[in-house]
Amino acid sequence: MRKNVGWRVRISVAMLVVAVAVTVATTTTVFGKTNSKHATAAAAALKCGLGNGKAATGTPIVLGAIATDQPGTSFTDIPNMANAYFQCVNANGGIYGHPIEYKILTDTTVPSQVTADASELISTDHVVGIVGNTDIIDCAVNGATYAKDGYFLIDAGIAAQCYASPWSATVNMGPRYSGDGAAQTAIMHGAKTIVIDQSNVPGYQSNALGIQAIAKAHGVKVVSLAANAASLNGETEAERIVQAAGSHGAADLIFTPPVAQQILQGAQKLGLESKVIWTCATPCNTDSLAASLGPAWNHKLFVNAEMNDVHDDPGVDDNLFLKVLHQYGSAVSGGIGSFSQFGFTVGQLTVQALLSIKSKVYTVKTVNAAIENLSGFKTDMLCKPWYYGKAAVHLPNNTDYTVWPDNGTMQIVPGSGCLPISTDDPEVATVRAYEKKHGV
Amino acid sequence: MPSWSSFQPFIPIGLALGGVYALSGVGMVVLYRATGVLNLAYGAIGAMGAMIAWSMITNAGVPSFWAYLVAVLFGGFSTLFYGTIFGPALAARDPLVKSVATLGFALVLLGLMTLLWSNSDITRSITFSTDDSTAFTVSSVSVSWTQVIAFAFGLAVAVGATVFLRVTKLGTAMRALADDREITATLGVPVRRVEAAAWFGSGILAGITGLLLADLDTLDPATLTFLVIFTVAAALIARLRSIGVTFVAAVVIGLVDNLVTPINSITNYRDMTPFVLAIIALLFFARGRQYSFARGGIR
Repeated sequence: MRKNVGWRVRISVAMLVVAVAVTVATTTTVFGKTNSKHATAAAAALKCGLGNGKAATGTPIVLGAIATDQPGTSFTDIPNMANAYFQCVNANGGIYGHPIEYKILTDTTVPSQVTADASELISTDHVVGIVGNTDIIDCAVNGATYAKDGYFLIDAGIAAQCYASPWSATVNMGPRYSGDGAAQTAIMHGAKTIVIDQSNVPGYQSNALGIQAIAKAHGVKVVSLAANAASLNGETEAERIVQAAGSHGAADLIFTPPVAQQILQGAQKLGLESKVIWTCATPCNTDSLAASLGPAWNHKLFVNAEMNDVHDDPGVDDNLFLKVLHQYGSAVSGGIGSFSQFGFTVGQLTVQALLSIKSKVYTVKTVNAAIENLSGFKTDMLCKPWYYGKAAVHLPNNTDYTVWPDNGTMQIVPGSGCLPISTDDPEVATVRAYEKKHGV
Repeated sequence: MPSWSSFQPFIPIGLALGGVYALSGVGMVVLYRATGVLNLAYGAIGAMGAMIAWSMITNAGVPSFWAYLVAVLFGGFSTLFYGTIFGPALAARDPLVKSVATLGFALVLLGLMTLLWSNSDITRSITFSTDDSTAFTVSSVSVSWTQVIAFAFGLAVAVGATVFLRVTKLGTAMRALADDREITATLGVPVRRVEAAAWFGSGILAGITGLLLADLDTLDPATLTFLVIFTVAAALIARLRSIGVTFVAAVVIGLVDNLVTPINSITNYRDMTPFVLAIIALLFFARGRQYSFARGGIR
């Protein structure tokens, strides 16, 4: 009996070792590649923040972020890219010698969890600023806390509350306004019916309101679908969309990249690429998606990008973004795309705010006052200067680019230029009125 | 009510998914019959194999065939590993305990996958066919080779397993184990070896299932892990006994889940399909009987 047990254990342990070895060998190749890139690029000095090439060694300035991270829906690339920029800043003098310490917490769309995250950042970690949040329920759940405790967030918003609040200004448009832009493109290309398809996460219904208003103004029919992203089958969903769209129809996908990829690949397997006008909100703007879709989707998917394309004629910010991503962005799994560009822009805005504090005293009060005072921030990434200010509603990014897949990368659709999101969406009309009144 | 043409495109999709559910359902039933274990880690094992294959192809440049082979073998050996270590220790325990133990194994694998592969990595996919490899068209509905293979493989495995259990010596031993483990052992059947064969064979099917679902559905660890629900439903409808009924139930689940898609009033409730069908079947079979989760199902 004892002999049998020993044989069983030895064989089992051997099998376990083999399995783990195979797993580790195949997965560590990824890390190996990243480290290799990291080492190569490390030689090049980057002009982040003060850009003096000296590592910051002072007392850290602690910032925090909360991002949704669950199967089918992960927004961690945004704070991870902001963190990459902060690392670059820390290697270049920091904030007058103070390194930025950035705490990134995640949640799975559970209110108690996201409440605990905010509590941990504010009460335990004592963060002086909250930036880079990209969470489905954070604004709705923690908004009152942020307002009470004096935090002014620079975030990449999702929920309506992130845009309709004085304490949150986003670098992105979010699903509603990006969906608006995609719908505008569909209408420009002759769509008679627009099928909105999105994940049935909390609050998803409000994402369709702008599209419905724009479609109504143009006499276009709207069909609104929702799907459970975690159990969706790409082929089934693609066929469902095409049937709902009918002839001269368009699809307006509001999904994260993995889910959009699943649907688009499903459409490809069924030969549906040209059955409707395929459009997508911002998350589809990532080179990883273009590469995984392959040439079959070249120029067949219009993506409302919210951010500029960094490939063609990149400017100073675009170049810096590419270098920071290359050197410090090993945690940014989606690579080049809107999500990483959001994170980079959040990082730039935050650092500009921190560097503007003349007292060089970094408290919740001083940091958030500096954030609130941000205005006229110009970057190659955006069509218009970004502002914070004392607006009741924030949508500083409301004019953007449209891209499409082109042999493995996302490129600006030739001749499309900067597209103002339509004021047929009443929320956008409110923002434009504010901008006109205050000259921003 | 949508027209017939609206339903047609969903038939090959449903049949293909049903075929894969049947494939894993057969593996699950065979294992249950031989060991008394309802393996809830089936999906996670297939998912991990598929993820390893993807990593080998994408990151290490290994040819697809060898990567797929590793994925299938991972399924076989990891399942055998679990069965060898925990099977004997849990052999005398209630079937519910055995099943819950496999759920623990599933969570360990899921945790390992979450650790190794980020949720936000979007480049993951395993594709056996593209639109260029459409097998044939029926009434303007395209059918891909992957769909054909998935259904045919499910059918072949169901037939093969039925023949195997009836004709071969090992199959007969497995059936004997299902009837009475102690008497079978007394008759000189090498129980541990028979069980090991069941664990390994079942794991091989889990590996194949993971790869096929990664193409037909998605290469996402959590999604693949929990697709086991469809398989469990099919196996429960078959009362964990009949391979033929498991196949039919799996195909019906796949078909119904897809055919309700064009019906707007219920399409958002499609995820309930396996539960609803399983509950209906169990209530039907349990009329006037006492249902037990113990080995043997309904008595």
